[in-house]
Amino acid sequence: MIRGYSTFIHVGQIHIDVAPKAISTVLGSCVAVCLYDPILGIGGMNHYLLPFWNKNGLQTPKFGNIAIPKLIESMLAKGANSKTIEAKIFGGAMMNPGVNEAMMIGQKNILVAREILSEYQIAIVSEDVGGQNGRKIQFDLERGKVLMKYTPRSDLLSQG
Amino acid sequence: MDTMNGYDEEVTFLSRKLLDLNKQLIESEKAKSRFLSLVANELNDPMTALLGLIPRLKPDEKNSHQAIFGLVHQEALLLDFRIQNLVAAAQIESGEIDTTYASVKPETIVKEAIEDLKYLIQRNNILISIHDTLMRPVISDPRKLYLIVKNLIANGCTYGLTDSIVDISITESSSTLVIAVNNQGDGPKVEFKPQVFTRFAEGLEGEHGLGLGLSIVRELCESLKGNVDYTADKSWVTFTVTLPLETTLPDSDACGSNEFLFESFDDAVEF
Repeated sequence: MIRGYSTFIHVGQIHIDVAPKAISTVLGSCVAVCLYDPILGIGGMNHYLLPFWNKNGLQTPKFGNIAIPKLIESMLAKGANSKTIEAKIFGGAMMNPGVNEAMMIGQKNILVAREILSEYQIAIVSEDVGGQNGRKIQFDLERGKVLMKYTPRSDLLSQG
Repeated sequence: MDTMNGYDEEVTFLSRKLLDLNKQLIESEKAKSRFLSLVANELNDPMTALLGLIPRLKPDEKNSHQAIFGLVHQEALLLDFRIQNLVAAAQIESGEIDTTYASVKPETIVKEAIEDLKYLIQRNNILISIHDTLMRPVISDPRKLYLIVKNLIANGCTYGLTDSIVDISITESSSTLVIAVNNQGDGPKVEFKPQVFTRFAEGLEGEHGLGLGLSIVRELCESLKGNVDYTADKSWVTFTVTLPLETTLPDSDACGSNEFLFESFDDAVEF
């Protein structure tokens, strides 16, 4: 476990940091992409709610097709190497099977992550996605590891 | 089972198609995002310096340049407001804006916004009335709440009738904080709602600004788990912000940061 403080990110946020820091979030149908450059110990995480930005409102990272390229660009701007960056993805649960089954938001969020990462030729080295449980994750930039716990639906009322 | 697989495949196919189409959309909108981020950076620092220097140039009461000084100060404050909106939009788009909760009194925030807009209010001869039935502090993000309220009041004063009233009500309803800003005049038609909350909106009838203020208001409301909507009848326009009332102040925000001590991950799975 991480000793000390960890930066918590909400929906629509992107955070890049370096070892020995940690980044955390809580996910329902939202997806978080965690990128890590193992050579430099630079890591970043986003947390998006929906797969596609459709020109409605600001172009914010609460949409996967905005959040993932922005996360990658921010990592590269901080000095990470595109050839050594690796990805881990989490979330995309079906939180209200009756309600969003038809929309398949979680599934679309996962698909967007896989498609965009593959386009940037960034390998997904591990993932825990889908299902019907929420997740709490903490990205330890010292070791490049993500700690994950499933969480009950009641804990996720205000999360994505 | 086969139907489900077929359904999944269809969704996957359509999502890929949509992703591809959106790529073109994002590309065509890239210039606007770059503009936002560049302008925000380039204008903010000099503006901050100017605002710091202008009060030092204030002439004596009897000096004939007093009126000109007032105008310069007024224009600088209005320009700063627009720049602050550009900065906020750029921060939201870059994913850098976080939420910092604190105990705040909505009426104090409203009064602060009115004070900062006093030149606009005076210029358009607007009478502001505040009805606060909440009359207590709530837990919210003061910076976000200030930007929300300031944009709505500025819109009411700018696009409403001159020599009229802007009425602001602060109430509590079913564990939500409701702030309504009413102004006299023609509002945007309900059929233009999607454009009203879209940046650099086009296609709206009548006078309108950059289309940035309301898109910021909506994003900030959503980041506080609330929403914004409006109604317009023949003589009044009402923009209503609804925010859930948080009951406790997160430990993290008590020390003014977005960092917090996460619970034990002793039994967590490691990836």
